[in-house]
Amino acid sequence: MAKKRYAMVIDLKRCVDCDACTIACKQENHTPPGVAYTRVLRKEVGEYPNVRRQFLPILCNHCEHPPCVPVCPVGATWKREQDGIVVVDYEKCIGCRYCMTACPYGARFFDFGENYSEPLNVFEAQASNEYGKQWNRANGNSPIGNVRKCTFCVHRLDKGLEPACVQTCMPKARLFGDLNDPDSEVSRLLAERRSFVLKEELGTGPNVYYIT
Amino acid sequence: MKRGITLAYWVVLGVTILIGALALVVRALDGLKVTNLTQIVPWGLWVALYIYFIGLSAGSFLLSTLIYVGGVKRFEPVGKIAMFTAFVALMAGLLFILLDLGHMERFWTVFFNRNPNSVLEWEIHFYLLYMVILVAELWLLMRRDLVRWSQEKKGWLGTLYRLMALNSRDISEKALQDDMRLVKLLGLIGIPVAIGVHGGTGAIFAVVKARPYWYTGLFPLIFITSALASGGALLTFIVAFFSQLEEKARGELVGGLGKLVAALLGVDLLFIASEFLIGIYGAIPDHLATYNTIMFGPFWWVFWILQLGIGAALPLILLTHKRTNSNITWIGLAGAMIVVGIVGVRLNIVIPPLTRPLVEGFDTAYIPFTAAASLSALPATLDQILSYITWAGGLILLVALGALILFAAQKLGASIGQPAFYAAGIVAVVVIVFLAIRVVGAPGVSLAVNGGTAWSGYADMFAQTDSARQNGLYFPTLIEWLTSAGVIAFCVALFSIGKALLPLETKELSAEEMERARKSPWLARTEVNK
Repeated sequence: MAKKRYAMVIDLKRCVDCDACTIACKQENHTPPGVAYTRVLRKEVGEYPNVRRQFLPILCNHCEHPPCVPVCPVGATWKREQDGIVVVDYEKCIGCRYCMTACPYGARFFDFGENYSEPLNVFEAQASNEYGKQWNRANGNSPIGNVRKCTFCVHRLDKGLEPACVQTCMPKARLFGDLNDPDSEVSRLLAERRSFVLKEELGTGPNVYYIT
Repeated sequence: MKRGITLAYWVVLGVTILIGALALVVRALDGLKVTNLTQIVPWGLWVALYIYFIGLSAGSFLLSTLIYVGGVKRFEPVGKIAMFTAFVALMAGLLFILLDLGHMERFWTVFFNRNPNSVLEWEIHFYLLYMVILVAELWLLMRRDLVRWSQEKKGWLGTLYRLMALNSRDISEKALQDDMRLVKLLGLIGIPVAIGVHGGTGAIFAVVKARPYWYTGLFPLIFITSALASGGALLTFIVAFFSQLEEKARGELVGGLGKLVAALLGVDLLFIASEFLIGIYGAIPDHLATYNTIMFGPFWWVFWILQLGIGAALPLILLTHKRTNSNITWIGLAGAMIVVGIVGVRLNIVIPPLTRPLVEGFDTAYIPFTAAASLSALPATLDQILSYITWAGGLILLVALGALILFAAQKLGASIGQPAFYAAGIVAVVVIVFLAIRVVGAPGVSLAVNGGTAWSGYADMFAQTDSARQNGLYFPTLIEWLTSAGVIAFCVALFSIGKALLPLETKELSAEEMERARKSPWLARTEVNK
């Protein structure tokens, strides 16, 4: 099978700041308070009457050269050969949080073990499905005490589904695909439109592109 | 009087260790949610104290190599103490990094799950290698005394020394020379290892290109110079106040150490100034924001008062002014000040660069989704009980500090005039009380940053509200303070016990003593065996 290079293209002209992606991600991955693999940044530019709100959805860039990977003392995080997704092994991670300081995008989160409600409601008590396994957040077991991050919903990709944030995006601002396939929608969009990536100067080679 | 102070010392240590142990239990059961660490500031007090103690350790060790490798005979009397200090400080550093892990129970996996690209992984190996060298060198240095004491001392102490002597019995001159040759060799290997230990700890930060403040080639060097300064200062303090050497020898030793420390501190300040000036001139927003936070943020006093005032300016004056630079007490005090002040350096290394969100708006993007109510991590009653315990512990510590100041006033009285010193003592107590109020967040004392209340009142120190996990402002919780105090007290106690029991300050044997040792039946038997 050919190697894939998964990437996301986000059309900033289409984003309406509905935060549906944030919610979809939280539902899909059952993330605790404070942990949101994707979120929408907002900024106001200009002065009245020429004011405009700008939105920037951010998530893990699944960099070509991820600075978070080499720092891990136990090799619990790596970039997958077959599709370029940066993953974390919850059973290996010792929770030192070095990768959180090394990521230039704030894409990594620590699971402090907090919950939205005590006792847990039905939804919160359900297991997270990340990496195709069942993760019950209880008694300090992983992923509590681990660093967690966006996986491009790898458990959904395995079933032939798109990442949850892409599927839910109402204005179709988020597109997902394989950059190694020149016919894919993401490849064609990047060829046609102007794009940028975040903090390009650091040489991380992000795989989340923004088109304007 | 002396007995009273000793008793007070052990009571304070014991209480602190006990409270720290309780806090440690809470931390072990509830995980890192008992800390005030956030998604934006994932490293805090514990990491700062970890690099602080590793620095103390490496600094003390490097100074000891000056003696055993460099042949600086002048400092020989502090050699073994330096080595033992390095060992205890290393223990403290490793305890702190263990405390900071999200999964403490997995710490041993670092030896099996390898990642040769990780600086941290390399550091773990450096620490181990360093520990082996340290223990081996210390044992070789103490060996002859251990052998001697194992015959002289009776009861359980004798047994202890026999165990520690590891069945070695040879105390001839030749054996001693062999020991020293090995010590020199180990010290020689130890120099690059110790530089790796702390320079490498600096490199943990320096390789992070996401944080401009850390990402400089000078950073690991600053770690090494400040390590040398703090290690030397700690030795100065220990020798000045707790050495059993005679007054004159002690004076010479402390004077020499004081000069050395002043020079090291000067180099350290020079490096820091270079970092600041270049960073500010470059004015990269993230870089500038870090300096802004350090100098004018809510914890400005850590920089101006702790790091520069107590940690640099005052001790430099004390160490260089002609009225104080030949007085053991003042030099020792300067050493203590540097040891305390370097904590500020370490805090400012770890925390401020993390406080600025990596992407603008990151910290505010998510606020609508945080839980509305603040949830208590602990049942109210336990919270109450713990609060009483901590207040009591705090009071005891304050009383102990007051006693120490009075004690110091008595010792210093003749040289500087008592009223001035008592006034200074009172001011110090007031400042300590003020800081203590800030620490525990007594009612009415809160701090608002970025429009939101970052930490308010006592309850939040234990029960973290969810929204604060998004905050760029970090202040340790009581649990973090108490566990830290506990670990430090534990290591201080370890040091005191070691200092009391181990032959760290013995003199050369006189001919008569040698003769007596040779004639002892125990040794005679071994010679027959040969």
